Amino acid sequence: MLNMDNAKDLRDVMVETFISAADEGVNLAVLVSDSTSTAKISPFKERFPDRLVNVGIAEQSLVGTAAGMALGGFVAVTTNAAPFLVHRANEQVKNDICYTNTNVKLVGLNAGVCYGALASTHHAIDDVSIMRGFGNIHIFAPSDPLEAEQIFRHALAYDGPVYIRMDSAKFPMLHDESYRFEPGKVDVLRQGGDLSLIAMGSTVHEAVAAADELSEKGIEADVLNISSVRPLDSKTILGSLSKTGCGITVEEHSLHGGIGSLASELVAETGISCRIKRLGFVEGKFAIPGPRNEMRAHVGIDAQGIVRTSMEMVK
Amino acid sequence: MNCEAGQGHTGADLSETDILASLYFRLLRYSKTDPNHPERDRFILSKGHGVGGYYCTLAQAGLLDESLLKTYLQFDSKLPGHPVRQKTPFVEVNTGALGHGLPIGVGLALAAKKTGRDYTVYVLTGDGELQEGSNWEAAMAASQFKLDNLVWIVDRNRLQLADFTENIMMLKPLNKKMEAFGMSVHVTDGNAPASFIETMESLPANDGKPKVIIANTTKGKGVSFIENQPSWHHRIPKGEELPKALEELGC
Repeated sequence: MLNMDNAKDLRDVMVETFISAADEGVNLAVLVSDSTSTAKISPFKERFPDRLVNVGIAEQSLVGTAAGMALGGFVAVTTNAAPFLVHRANEQVKNDICYTNTNVKLVGLNAGVCYGALASTHHAIDDVSIMRGFGNIHIFAPSDPLEAEQIFRHALAYDGPVYIRMDSAKFPMLHDESYRFEPGKVDVLRQGGDLSLIAMGSTVHEAVAAADELSEKGIEADVLNISSVRPLDSKTILGSLSKTGCGITVEEHSLHGGIGSLASELVAETGISCRIKRLGFVEGKFAIPGPRNEMRAHVGIDAQGIVRTSMEMVK
Repeated sequence: MNCEAGQGHTGADLSETDILASLYFRLLRYSKTDPNHPERDRFILSKGHGVGGYYCTLAQAGLLDESLLKTYLQFDSKLPGHPVRQKTPFVEVNTGALGHGLPIGVGLALAAKKTGRDYTVYVLTGDGELQEGSNWEAAMAASQFKLDNLVWIVDRNRLQLADFTENIMMLKPLNKKMEAFGMSVHVTDGNAPASFIETMESLPANDGKPKVIIANTTKGKGVSFIENQPSWHHRIPKGEELPKALEELGC
């Protein structure tokens, strides 16, 4: 069982990081599209009322205004639900942030199927795919509170567009305090040798749980946390896949354009001998809505599903 | 320039030219030697397809090497077919898709208010462009945030790609719509620099209201066979049309 003693909502971590960055002199402005509760931003608003901008329910305006504020000297951060950010404001993200290369941090809250039964209008299972299609933007997905804090700190210090794929729930620590997030570096959480479990964001927890269970069955897995999708550490991914010859990618994302695609592209391009099984939401279909754990189980991205697929692949 | 490049938006280039000339020769505050001077006024060409007229204005104002105009639209030119700030000095924002300039202008104007800078933000949109809803989101925000340092100029030539604006999607009563959004609205002749400048220089200051200038213009201004012809949105002069056009423009 997971130890939830040190669990934290990643949004609380985000807001704490904003407050300490502003305290330290970062010229930060946080923009919301009426998404103050989605972002849990009230503590920041209370401390820095002039640094919070609410543009109303208007995502195109949110992203365009953020670009303008960045051009006016601010480190501008948008915080709203991922589907409304990447889908409604897609062209603003492409042109005003990525192409114009503005110093804006786009935080996609409740990405993947966090909203579960609220169904596909509220799901973002293609956000990584969409962002990977754009130039200039860095793409990060924190797995736990410590990594979230470090990703936000890095993003605020980095001069350029960043997308942070956020899971908005409580998660326990996967790392001890010595962990340091590095952009362009894969975080190897576990070294096995029989197969490679490659996961992103909150599904890293499922991969770790699966690896524990597999170990009891005598199968030792590498567990790779892809928290930096761009820049990408392809060397570590290929190193693990060359060693094990067997990879499973796990993401709360479409099979198209996420880390499953990434790993497969690397394998195909380098010609290493390795079989890849991609676990995620079926390409070309909307996700079947329901409680999130059931949605995960249905497509096999929960720990049990990962174990099942691993057993099939390794036998 | 358009003829040399083999394409361009001739009609749009001509309708905005008097506005751009008024801005760059009279109204805008900028440093010729420092395109990124922090106290410069910000100008955003939201109707990015009017980039041909923009490059010519920058060159005339001595802000762009005139010899570059020959490279317009060539591979990796400093003068691409829509404004690109990484390529061309004095370009603030990469535009070309319509309805993007005003929200960015709101952000720039808001940043100035929050940092105590006194630059003015000018955004030039087309009129057909106002069919994009993002403009109206930004208009609400500009009014809500009391951005009296934002000047939104509408090149009101009454034409868009397919036809006259009012045949496609009626914009009038444009002044009343903008007033209803909380703007300080001013109507002027966008092809008569003297009256355009007079309007711009007599705008109310510190009134807490964003400014809108509806600049009535003629698309293709100055060339009889281009003026008010929807077909000239994308066209360039061919054969005998070029010397005839240049003669009419007094070049």
